Amino acid sequence: MALPLAAIGIGLRQPHYREVFETAPELGFVEVHSENFFLDGGASMHALERARAAYPVSLHGVGLSIGSADRLAEQHLAQLVRLVERIEPALVSEHLCWGAIDGLHFNDLLPLPSTYEALALVSERVDRVQNALGRHILIENVSAYVEYRDRELTETAFLAELARRSGCGILFDVNNLYVNAKNFGFDAYARLAELPASAIGQIHLAGHTEVDGCLIDTHGSRVCAEVWALYDAACRRYGPKPTLIEWDTDLPPLEVLLDEAGRVRSIAACAAEAAYV
Amino acid sequence: MSELLESQRGFAAALRDAEASSRTSRWLAGDAALVARRLAIYRANMAASAAKALAAAYPVLQQVVGNEFFDGLARAYLRAWPSTCGNLYDYGGEFAAFLAELPHAQSLPYLPDLARLEWLVHRTYGAADAKPWDPAGLMAVAPELQHEIRFEWAAGTAVMNSTYPIAHIWTIHQPEYAGEFAVDWSVAERALVARAGLRVTVMALEVGDAAFFIAALAGGSLDDAATAALNADPAFDLGALLARAIASNLICGIATDKRD
Repeated sequence: MALPLAAIGIGLRQPHYREVFETAPELGFVEVHSENFFLDGGASMHALERARAAYPVSLHGVGLSIGSADRLAEQHLAQLVRLVERIEPALVSEHLCWGAIDGLHFNDLLPLPSTYEALALVSERVDRVQNALGRHILIENVSAYVEYRDRELTETAFLAELARRSGCGILFDVNNLYVNAKNFGFDAYARLAELPASAIGQIHLAGHTEVDGCLIDTHGSRVCAEVWALYDAACRRYGPKPTLIEWDTDLPPLEVLLDEAGRVRSIAACAAEAAYV
Repeated sequence: MSELLESQRGFAAALRDAEASSRTSRWLAGDAALVARRLAIYRANMAASAAKALAAAYPVLQQVVGNEFFDGLARAYLRAWPSTCGNLYDYGGEFAAFLAELPHAQSLPYLPDLARLEWLVHRTYGAADAKPWDPAGLMAVAPELQHEIRFEWAAGTAVMNSTYPIAHIWTIHQPEYAGEFAVDWSVAERALVARAGLRVTVMALEVGDAAFFIAALAGGSLDDAATAALNADPAFDLGALLARAIASNLICGIATDKRD
């Protein structure tokens, strides 16, 4: 079920379904948002099953809100369990974030403080999710626009410790690390050393925009040069990892995504070659 | 209370109301003006996601009122009915009720009915695929039991009554529609929402047919539904209705045992 380490994928969104099915581009996997398929049947499920017949699928959750301090959304988890049973994905991932409290949902990936209190909560939640799914999940670092006063460890160290405690893998989003480094003024390269290569199960690459001096994780443009450079450094440090081009807003023609995927291929190949020099 | 829980409650208050931004100062670093600007990014994200989800569920309504007015409705709806679910497909179910209460939507009095219809269409989109059923099963029912047949309907099949030509309004706003755009506002329509394979269909029903579906979809027997239909319209034709329902794969099975 596991993806080959050199697998390269793209986010599969509805406007590209037809072209992907008809042209069957060479891709190591495709990724979709889990919640878009919390359905009993119909056109969306049909498309996902068709994608699943052609490619390994990665299910990427955006609404579980694993870090909500009040409760874990059991019904949401039950829907995820059902989808995972139906699709048999290669990967299942969630975000290191919270998004709901006291019955209200903000439908966003809100940052958690990097405290031991949050670490204990999220470790226990990941454990529950993994038990319900009967498999390991990946947890992704998110972009943030505000910073907590309480920082008992870095976000990368938090993820490493979360992986150690819960056995989960890490979905390392290079763009999110870059966005946070810019927004809060730290050295992204120095943080790479904090993530254990063995725990990284997937890498995400995406575009962002800058508004009022703040980088915002929009997934609506090409990967920028600085993020490619950081990805190159990550490849050299961690070795090949399944890598995804994520694009959710202002969706371009499919060929742009495939072109970005081609760039992933050449950077990963260069890094692999350099490792043997 | 845990520090984490308290910080999330403060953050949540600031997302609901910009005036409450200072409630985050105990937890968020940086000067108050910067934190307020950054929280505004999250507030805008939340509003944009909710508006996008609402537009996905109500595309005809969006066309009817225009994007700008719809965006205003989406903002007001989010304040009145904030999201409670991590799956935005479930967001927007109270939009018809919200519109019915809205004073400045009174100039388009059919909007609540249009919203009700679009929500049915939205839910039917993701309903379970219809199981194939052989109508020969109908012939196998003993004559004395036929009146108590209960149909199992394809998931997502629904009927709504309106005092407006609601099915027609929906139809003329579909991207593939190429017919007449005139609307006769004096016509009251009953709309049948169903799935044809993967596609959601909406069609106007005769009064008797609608009464039949409403009774039968609520679990009534063939006899109950036919009686309701004949009361509504003495010219109701049961054979024609069943033939159409079968041809459209709306029936997935039958049962003759009485429900308790």
